[in-house]
Amino acid sequence: MDSLKQQLKLQIIAALNLEGMQPEDIQDDAPLFGEGLGLDSIDALELIVLLEREYGIRLKDAKEGKPVFQSVAVMADYITTHRTK
Amino acid sequence: MKQIHHILILPDRVVVDDQPVTITTQGADIVTELYRRYMNDYPKFFKMDLLSRLGLVAADILLQTEGAERGAERDDRAVVIVNRHASLNNDRAYEATIQPDNYFPSPSLFVYTLPNVVAGEIAIRNHYLGETACYIAAQEDVEPLIASTFNEHTTSVIGGWLDVTDEKEFIAKLSIWTH
Repeated sequence: MDSLKQQLKLQIIAALNLEGMQPEDIQDDAPLFGEGLGLDSIDALELIVLLEREYGIRLKDAKEGKPVFQSVAVMADYITTHRTK
Repeated sequence: MKQIHHILILPDRVVVDDQPVTITTQGADIVTELYRRYMNDYPKFFKMDLLSRLGLVAADILLQTEGAERGAERDDRAVVIVNRHASLNNDRAYEATIQPDNYFPSPSLFVYTLPNVVAGEIAIRNHYLGETACYIAAQEDVEPLIASTFNEHTTSVIGGWLDVTDEKEFIAKLSIWTH
């Protein structure tokens, strides 16, 4: 699970162009939106694409992403359960 | 109508009010170098396409050169951009994400598949509530378009020729214009 979280952090940094940020700057349980990384609605859509491209997980609409994108730890749990690749 | 400040950014050269600016990089890296030197406080910059990055940093350097107080909302200054290649550079990047055998459309690239977005980015950054416009033109002939923007309400314009062919070929030739 730790390696998945690490990989996920690298993928998030790359996909969202979080310039200057390192994986260690993202806490496993820190909120990704709002007070966390300050991501916006376009970032949420980009995370949906990331889930499908990298893990074969297809969310039907953006609303489904809200509980999934709470934190890296929650995302990693969801990926472990639902991944198809 | 007159230009009170002007800037030229090319892949190998930067000139502000006829004074060359020392740079250490080339190509699109110049734009990032200028961002770090003159702005460095706007993380959204890194999410933008090259056209918006170029326009935003050119406008910011111009406004720092102007030296006026910034931050307050104003609606008397327009943002007018003229270019030839529209958003083609970013359009190509987006197209690469929608190939039949690799179909993962990128939302963050899609939002920059319109050239007028750069005018909006400059307005948002600087709290401008006035006119914004983006013209696609074959030739660099911006003055008639800038001149047509002035009226009793719009008393200054920031803008000019801003064109991106690709990461190695681009130009920002912007000015602050007044009556």
